[in-house]
Amino acid sequence: MASPVSVYNSNALDAHIASTPRESLKMELLADVSLLPGEERIIDKDIIYMCHFNGAVKGKVLITNYRLYFKSSDADVTVMLDVPLGAISRVEKMGGASSRGENSYGLDITCKDMRNLKFALKQEGHSRRDIFDLLFRHAFPLSHGLPLFAYVTQEKYAENGWNIYKPVEEFRRQGLPNNKWRITFINKSYDLCDTYPTVLAVPFKSKEEDLRRVAAFRSKGRIPVLSWIHRENQAVIVRCSQPLVGMSGKRNRDDERYLDLIREANDTTKLTIYDARPSVNAVANKATGGGYEGDEYQNAELIFLDIQNIHVMRESLKKLKDIVYPNVEESHWLSSLESTHWLEHVKLVLSGAIQVADKVSSGNSVVVHCSDGWDRTAQLTSLAMLMLDSHYRTLRGFQGLIEKEWISFGHKFASRIGHGDKNHADQDRSPIFVQFIDCVWQMTKQFPTAFEFNEHLLLTILDHLYSCRFGTFLYNCESARDQHEVRSKTVSLWSLVNSKMDIYLNPFYTPESGRVLYPVASMRHLELWVTYYIRWNPRIRQQQSPVEQRYKELLALRDEYLKKLEQLQLSDSSTSSRLANSPTPNTSSNTSPSQQYTHLHTPF
Amino acid sequence: MEFSEHIKTANVEDVVLRQPLHPPSRGTLCITGHHLLFSDREEGSSRQVLLLLRNIDAIEKSVENLLGYSGFFSNAGLSERMSGSSGTITIKCKDLRVLQLDIPGMEQCLNIAHSIETLSCLDCVSEMYPFFYRPADLSLQDQWGLSTPEKHYSQMKELCERWRLSSVNRDYSVCPSYPSAVIVPNSIDDSTLKKVAKFRQGGRFPVLCYYHKKNGMVIMRSSQPLMGANRKRCKEDELLLQAVIDGSDKGYIIDTRSSQQAQQARMTGGGFESKSCYSHWKRLHRQMDRGKALQESLIKLVEACGDESNNMDRWLSKLENSKWLSHVQTALSTAGLLAECVERDGHSVLVHGSEGTDSSLLISTLAQLIMDPCCRTLDGFLALLEREWLQAGHPFQQRCARSAYSHARLQQESPVFLLLLDCVWQLWRQFPLALGFSEALLIRLATEVYASDYGTFLCNSDQERCAMGIKDKTHCLFQALLRPGERDFYSNPLYEPTELAIWPSVHPQSLQLWRGFFLRWTQQARHLEEAQEEIRNMLIEWGKLALS
Repeated sequence: MASPVSVYNSNALDAHIASTPRESLKMELLADVSLLPGEERIIDKDIIYMCHFNGAVKGKVLITNYRLYFKSSDADVTVMLDVPLGAISRVEKMGGASSRGENSYGLDITCKDMRNLKFALKQEGHSRRDIFDLLFRHAFPLSHGLPLFAYVTQEKYAENGWNIYKPVEEFRRQGLPNNKWRITFINKSYDLCDTYPTVLAVPFKSKEEDLRRVAAFRSKGRIPVLSWIHRENQAVIVRCSQPLVGMSGKRNRDDERYLDLIREANDTTKLTIYDARPSVNAVANKATGGGYEGDEYQNAELIFLDIQNIHVMRESLKKLKDIVYPNVEESHWLSSLESTHWLEHVKLVLSGAIQVADKVSSGNSVVVHCSDGWDRTAQLTSLAMLMLDSHYRTLRGFQGLIEKEWISFGHKFASRIGHGDKNHADQDRSPIFVQFIDCVWQMTKQFPTAFEFNEHLLLTILDHLYSCRFGTFLYNCESARDQHEVRSKTVSLWSLVNSKMDIYLNPFYTPESGRVLYPVASMRHLELWVTYYIRWNPRIRQQQSPVEQRYKELLALRDEYLKKLEQLQLSDSSTSSRLANSPTPNTSSNTSPSQQYTHLHTPF
Repeated sequence: MEFSEHIKTANVEDVVLRQPLHPPSRGTLCITGHHLLFSDREEGSSRQVLLLLRNIDAIEKSVENLLGYSGFFSNAGLSERMSGSSGTITIKCKDLRVLQLDIPGMEQCLNIAHSIETLSCLDCVSEMYPFFYRPADLSLQDQWGLSTPEKHYSQMKELCERWRLSSVNRDYSVCPSYPSAVIVPNSIDDSTLKKVAKFRQGGRFPVLCYYHKKNGMVIMRSSQPLMGANRKRCKEDELLLQAVIDGSDKGYIIDTRSSQQAQQARMTGGGFESKSCYSHWKRLHRQMDRGKALQESLIKLVEACGDESNNMDRWLSKLENSKWLSHVQTALSTAGLLAECVERDGHSVLVHGSEGTDSSLLISTLAQLIMDPCCRTLDGFLALLEREWLQAGHPFQQRCARSAYSHARLQQESPVFLLLLDCVWQLWRQFPLALGFSEALLIRLATEVYASDYGTFLCNSDQERCAMGIKDKTHCLFQALLRPGERDFYSNPLYEPTELAIWPSVHPQSLQLWRGFFLRWTQQARHLEEAQEEIRNMLIEWGKLALS
């Protein structure tokens, strides 16, 4: 060969990774898989993994009730796959018994986490029938009357992650109840709203019967309730679903009065209602009985935030996948990326949240809703709270935020993700939560010292969003979780995380309780989250491990520093002022929200 | 001094300055021979803005006659002339800052604009500010520069067996753009070198620029051979190259032009090393845009970055259309190829394009960063720049006379050095631990190369710098950057040396816009700078306590 084999040489093939045939794998090769307690082998088989990057790789596949594991048998090519079955959205047969061509007969697996897997099998003797059937059954247990793995696993952790979020404690942390807001248990048996949690915070002056009348006028009974209150100016973030205005333009005096009570609670002249939808969609919703708050709501202003619906987001991410997997678009990468509109959607969500946060921090209460108030609304309220309240930027605080705004308020995880369900084309599926985590990642990039957790936590959350190993993201709402005894029968993801916290910590975290973070939601400052969306491509992957190792050492150094500082403090109390400014690890869940808010100039 | 004849109005009161990241302020504007000075008169704050006129790339002026001029401070006491005419000067700097001055009085405004226009592009080197800059803490007797070719040679013991230091160019007569001493194969004597120089454009005969200790292979660089239409040969040139790969089966030539461009170069007297005459050399062509194409790319990029009209409006397409990132990609991947030839394939390489003063330096510098851990420290990197750019004769004065905003007709301008800094930043981003210097250093260099208090980037070659007495009459930027306080600021607090090569990923997905430079005058860049600073202080603090 004339020129050196090169990754910088566009003509060169990856010849150096091509595998040579070897004797078939012995079972011992699979011995290094450490199975989870309760995980059981279903089948293993010699197979060829049709790797998009390394070509055909011979090896052995092991399927358990939790995962699909593959290991190459060639000594010179180490290819390993470890895919939770929950991440699989579709399994199809590829080629037929009579298909010609090498490796054209096998399985084609589509995953929810931005990758596809292809396996080839020997054509003789229906060799794929058993593996296909078993994989299909266990990848989609709910479609086959089987339990999700979260109900099978026997994992034990030192900490019980289900205790991370207790609504009453969280309200108390925020300073509630007070003389303007009360806590109600009206929904304790889910009869006011079956997709809401049992504990709600509502205006002090509203009576239980008011709430019931308001519920009748809000889609799915999702009445306006408090999510967050600003300690100093008492401005609140209230969330709900759309009002049932309909074609005839119905009014509901109770709803109008109720919103006015929210405004009154901190004595401002105007309540701002953020409707997350584009205005045309809000108008169109009237046809199906929904709508938006009109002029009859005095003392209120309505602002549309132009965020598209779940279908648009799903298609956008699908387009993104098309340009990054298996092959990354090379020649017109930026304009292709632009045409997926993914970053534009991220931008709109972020800038919507910035508007909410800015309004609240300047002392005005806001109401946020979309149609049902469980997708875009959750994105906006949780991101705004992340900007406003530094507690949510701690490792535990962030877990609480997800538990509160997403899980307890009924983001339909089961429908959006399709846990254990074979219906891969279900129109209810949508990457709304992924998009939220993407927005959080954008914020961590823009404020590298403001978050106690690191990127690894975000990746872990997204991996277990699909894995079905933990109960955290199962089901659509609290009532369904109660019914299926999630808390008693499954393990929480936060048990895993909080039992091994140090790998999720950002060594550079500096708590600043008073700081409101306003990320810049301009396209110029947003980046594609390459380490998530393109992480399966070995050629794009950048050196992570030395950096992680270094960060680990830095965390140890920081702890050492804090220890020494503490000793110094004991011997010399005059240095105590310095401790206040120094980073403290794992700030406990009881830190109060900010005392001083700086009013920054909001750029959007 | 003659500067005064260009300054009709030296001082103006009641000027309003608008600049990024600050609220507008009112104060006094003052023009000197080299600076624009603005002093804030607001109570409680005394801010000064001192701007090198050399930093100004373009100005736009608009004057109007206004009855009842209403400035930003409409309730402030207005002086008489403000009710008459006024003007606005928009100043666009080479460091990409955009300032605006509202100046009362049309005539004064025009005078100021005229002064700026004239003084910002004076061509005479000896009148430039570095010749007048005399800070108290620096002495002209201090060492100038970091190293010399002689020192560099003597530090590499491994070299002397097969390589020698030649002073054939001691009076710059063999090659005006080379330093006085260069490293060449032992077996090639000075008279041969002189003949080779005649066969290479601008006399830039092949010289050693990097010796790879792991396997003894080298990177050579030169300009194109002057083969011409009738396929001239030069025995001495062939001999020299043969001596380079003595004992090895072959070498590679990376030509930074497409093979078509190389063919066409013959028509104007240039050419390439043909297979028949250089049978042990394998040519690889990689087309790298240079000159005007690069400058236009920068202009488009800066225009897109500054376009505030509607930030939804096809930003990514604009970024792509500027082609800047694809220049970054080409440079990094060609450098990667070069490093692969040396490190993985184990062969020596000669790099050239046509003149050998731009793309060749770009990729040889990047390849050294990829392969050689010594180049990745703060000192090592600055020494590398000194060797590969200053001593090797990159014509800084021609390339960096103007930047992205200038309306002047382009001549020799081309942001090759800025492209280098961007590529180094990409490496820095992909290998956050491997480089010993900080992003702040790269931003500082990107600023200094266009306008500076120091003499380092003046002139086009060693010869010119000698003739101008740069080393005796100006201060050295590199020395200044290595002073204790500055050194901390320009070091990477996360640095952890590695002996391994750092192979950059060159997929478009792995390359990012260098926001720290191109969007540096935005709030967000400021936030990130502050966060970096915070992290640096944290690490220093922890380190101190851990040691105590």
